Amino acid sequence: MENSQVKSILIIGMAGGLAKITGGLLLKEYPNAQILGVDSRYADMFVKDSRLKFQRMRYTRSNFEKLFRNNVFDVVIHLGRISHSNANPRAHLAQRLDLNLMGTGRILELSLHFNIKKIIILSTFHVYGAFPDNPIFVKEDSLLRASIKYPELRDVVEMDQMATNWMWKYQHQMETIVLRPCNIIGPQIRNSMTQFLTTKYVPVPIDYNPMLQFIHEFDMAKSLVHCISHVPTGIYNVATNESISLREAKKAVAVPFINVPVFLIEQTAKLINKTFWSFPNYLIDYLKYPCVLSNSELNKYLPPHFFKYSIREALELIKID
Amino acid sequence: MINSILILVKSEFFDIFSFRLEYKRVKLVEITKLYELMEKFIKDQVLDKVLAFLPKTISDKKLDEIYSFLEKKYPLGEDPWGLSLKKSKLAMKYSYPLFKHYFKVRVIGKEKIENKPYMIVSNHTGQIAIDGMLVTGAFILDLPEPRIVRAMVERFVGTIPFFGSFAMANGAVLGDRANCYHLLKRGESILVFPEGVQGVAKSTSDYYKLQNFTSGFFRMCLKTGTDILPIAVIGAEEFYPFVYQAKSLARKLGLPALPLTPFFPLLGPLGIMPLPSPVDIIIGDPYPIPKDLSPDAPDKLIAEHVNKIENTIRKLIADGRKNRRKFWGSLLLPEKIISGESKKNGK
Repeated sequence: MENSQVKSILIIGMAGGLAKITGGLLLKEYPNAQILGVDSRYADMFVKDSRLKFQRMRYTRSNFEKLFRNNVFDVVIHLGRISHSNANPRAHLAQRLDLNLMGTGRILELSLHFNIKKIIILSTFHVYGAFPDNPIFVKEDSLLRASIKYPELRDVVEMDQMATNWMWKYQHQMETIVLRPCNIIGPQIRNSMTQFLTTKYVPVPIDYNPMLQFIHEFDMAKSLVHCISHVPTGIYNVATNESISLREAKKAVAVPFINVPVFLIEQTAKLINKTFWSFPNYLIDYLKYPCVLSNSELNKYLPPHFFKYSIREALELIKID
Repeated sequence: MINSILILVKSEFFDIFSFRLEYKRVKLVEITKLYELMEKFIKDQVLDKVLAFLPKTISDKKLDEIYSFLEKKYPLGEDPWGLSLKKSKLAMKYSYPLFKHYFKVRVIGKEKIENKPYMIVSNHTGQIAIDGMLVTGAFILDLPEPRIVRAMVERFVGTIPFFGSFAMANGAVLGDRANCYHLLKRGESILVFPEGVQGVAKSTSDYYKLQNFTSGFFRMCLKTGTDILPIAVIGAEEFYPFVYQAKSLARKLGLPALPLTPFFPLLGPLGIMPLPSPVDIIIGDPYPIPKDLSPDAPDKLIAEHVNKIENTIRKLIADGRKNRRKFWGSLLLPEKIISGESKKNGK
């Protein structure tokens, strides 16, 4: 899709930090495009531009359909997945299933019905699951095993599978891109991993030290924008070429932490999760076993030196924040 | 001086038994001199001799040289498979006395190794895979151009607390085709034991008998165009001279192997302490990978080459046992094994 062909873009989940950065980059990259952001949450727009508008609404309600009827969107960027870190993961499973699955289904249906040219869906690398037998460089065609051990990840896995099924089924009518990024970190991002890295005195496994991948929020937003015009239909892992061990990452952020054996972390998480800690149980596996992504597929469509921040720079930036 | 010692002894004696404070008469200067003499005596006659007896670790200068060479290859100090140069350096520093003075590791034929990646194929011995660690150590410490060989390990290794991350930090990698492929493509050398658990978990009666090789490693070499470096590890079988592999019990417990020795499991963790058998790592001639064979060639064609490699390693083992350094633990082996050794020795 040529840059000039893009006249109108819809961003779902506009209140999130990543969406705001993406909105800003889109304004720059597509000077003729109108951008509309929607979210059920209130969004304080830090980019003030007449071409960027925001509407607060739930995308499972009928007024969401009105939005498609009254506007002609060329591209839809779906960043509206509810993450597990916002609340107790078990208590809100029903809500997550409703929004992540029903909501995504509705977005896909509306996009097809109203002849959207391209839809980009942000999934997560958590769908692969962290297992001791994961090869290093998990490819896009690997099995999505996350929900085998942790049923609370069912919504994420099913959302991803629904999007990929849709992608193959309607590939001749609509371009669909499913992105599975590694841990996104940055000053605007408040996901579980950023919280884990930046919180003081969190327990860190003393007996395991998996390799992790991080991508800076700006690089992730750049990838989303780049996908509109330069990346064809498909599923893509998003990660830089680098990786860092968990303990080195904690040291790079320079916050004090407590060395604890994993079995104690598991028990502590079970005990205090219900009251004042929102660290999802499944994330403990990501602190034990590796889930390092292969970025070879997306790299085919990226120019050289596309990513601006190295892992250490990205970690340094959340430290400053 | 003797007088002052006598005075001191006397004073101590009276201090203890008769509470007479005769030591008051000893001049402070004399006591200071005495302490100086005692310190010199302890340092020269006791401490230096004890330290000379204790195994020496590698010098920091030598270790820095090795790791500054390796840092050129791993500028970030880590790699995606969990290698950590910092931890590897520490491990080498502290395991060096074990490596050089306990197992007295020798590398024979290192001049055959060229500066290119290899699929290093070895026999597997020693019950708890110490051989892998010794080969890894040898390729770091004993080669003119040190390299970290990536030992392919079983899936359960990564799940073991502490040991899993220690192994990965020292270069071990989950034995998986994708890992193998990516590592070889990155110019890493890989260490494989095609005998698998069958090789390492042998009862005494099967010591130094090579088990059947699997062929996956050869197909991977064909796919990546990597030459094979056959090696043999001699001496690791004598770490535990008497072993019975309780195979059916291991199956029931879901364990890959369950070696029973006179001391294990009776003495608990102490029972797994290996005997100080000297280890020789013998490097064979590199086996160039055939250019005209496809990685998907029928088993029959692949087996031909695998058998050749197996025979090469068998010969390396036989030659290595002939030139083996004397070790009292070898005498503990059953007569059949010793006589096998004797025949090969031509005695």
